[in-house]
Amino acid sequence: MKQLDAVQAIAINTFRETVRDRILYAFILFACMATIFGIVLGSLSVGQDVRILKDIGLSAIATIGGVIAVFAGTNLVYKELERRTIYIIFTKPVSGWQFILGKYIGLCLCVLVMVAAMGGFLALLLSLQTGAFQGGDFSQPICELTQQIGLIYLELLFVTALATFFSTFTTPVMSVLFTVSLWLSAHMGDSLIELGKLSQNPVISTFLQYLFWLLPDFGGLTRIRAQLLYGRAPDGEVITYLMSYIFAYIILILTFAALVTEQREFT
Amino acid sequence: MADAVVETTNLSKDLTSNFLRRRARILDGLSLSVCKGETYGLIGPNGAGKTTTLKLLLGLIRPTSGSVTVFGLPPGDKRALSRIGYLPENPYFYSHLTAYEFLDFVGQLFGLPRAERTKRIKELLALVNLTGPQDVQMRKYSKGMLQRLGIAQSLINEPELIFWDEPMSGLDPIGRKDVRHILAELKKAGKTIFFNSHLLPDVNEVCDRVGVLNQGKLVGQEKISAISNNGSYRDLEDYFLSVIESASRESSQAAGESAQVS
Repeated sequence: MKQLDAVQAIAINTFRETVRDRILYAFILFACMATIFGIVLGSLSVGQDVRILKDIGLSAIATIGGVIAVFAGTNLVYKELERRTIYIIFTKPVSGWQFILGKYIGLCLCVLVMVAAMGGFLALLLSLQTGAFQGGDFSQPICELTQQIGLIYLELLFVTALATFFSTFTTPVMSVLFTVSLWLSAHMGDSLIELGKLSQNPVISTFLQYLFWLLPDFGGLTRIRAQLLYGRAPDGEVITYLMSYIFAYIILILTFAALVTEQREFT
Repeated sequence: MADAVVETTNLSKDLTSNFLRRRARILDGLSLSVCKGETYGLIGPNGAGKTTTLKLLLGLIRPTSGSVTVFGLPPGDKRALSRIGYLPENPYFYSHLTAYEFLDFVGQLFGLPRAERTKRIKELLALVNLTGPQDVQMRKYSKGMLQRLGIAQSLINEPELIFWDEPMSGLDPIGRKDVRHILAELKKAGKTIFFNSHLLPDVNEVCDRVGVLNQGKLVGQEKISAISNNGSYRDLEDYFLSVIESASRESSQAAGESAQVS
């Protein structure tokens, strides 16, 4: 249990550090303003105001959540090195995996709070829009919204793990580039397969196929999110598979990050 | 050596520059041992390799060649680290934390129970005279206050072995006197202390033995009592300068001879 004490301490410290960063609140404010803009856009449509508000609100949560995960994640280890606070950690009985896990959990908690805050604001606007406060039934839409935000958070957990991994061995700028590239490529798995089929060259075709298997694939996540948007609840089995897939990837990435940290010299 | 808490044999460290991949020898064949209960001061000019030595002892970096043990264990071993207190040079801590939060964080890294942490934090804040600003975020601290806090965090686990890198740096004369007092108390409690410093009067006052490091080599090692008693040197400063000068003379002679041979 002592080992988990260190993980908890590092997680709380990372959470405090990220939450006390004022830039974060500027991002949240931006997300809220973008969501409010959804009301204006919705009012221009014919009977689609709720749908537009929901779409824009969810996009704002996904984008701002992603920005927070990428920028905070890619600075996670680099900042410790730059400020030399890493000496304080690794001169105590703390292993690489405890450090990485603590940092990751701390940042995920912060992202959770931010996503929940933005989600709460969107729910409030939606309830005002649908007249839920005047006695309308709001349980079904809130359930769908929670599921959609849950899927966004699931993806952000993966992005945070990627950013944490890259931050263990490269500069923040390079980490941002690598993280965003991999994140985007995770949404292009189907395109890779299609490209492989179209290619006349068997080497390129095989290479693209291997690349597809190597890179994470978020095609399933996108499909479920689209289903939810049209009010269709996804199959429980699919959700379980998707969660297992993403968590397996996260564990793999964090294991690599811990190995890199363990091998590193802190000059 | 019997009772040796810290032992290095022919310890060397090369560092490679990032850009040209040029290797530079930072530490060259360092052999020393520090006994239980001893206060050892490692002194030397800037860039002599003092901080590198401490990093090697703590396992933050790995040796290029040679061996090092702390409590008979390899450097960086968790069992050894749990018995060590370390103060880095020019400590930069988490500016978003208060002194109390920071010490609590460090205590948790050692796995100390909450009640013990609370007790130790109170004692340590009083020891380093930081009880007033304990709830102020560290971003508002002066260099001296950060140094005091650094000293406090290095003692949270009641370490048997203390590694301090320039503990007097950034402190005013009163602060230095306080640190000397803390060192004296720790010495009385039988702790083994290993520290780097530029401030020779302070080293003279608290150390049992000193080692002089110059250009990565240990060029002299002597007991403080022997320096002051044998009459060859006026004081520690005189000893330090003589040792450095003779080492520089020898190295320039050796460089001249190797140039003639080639």
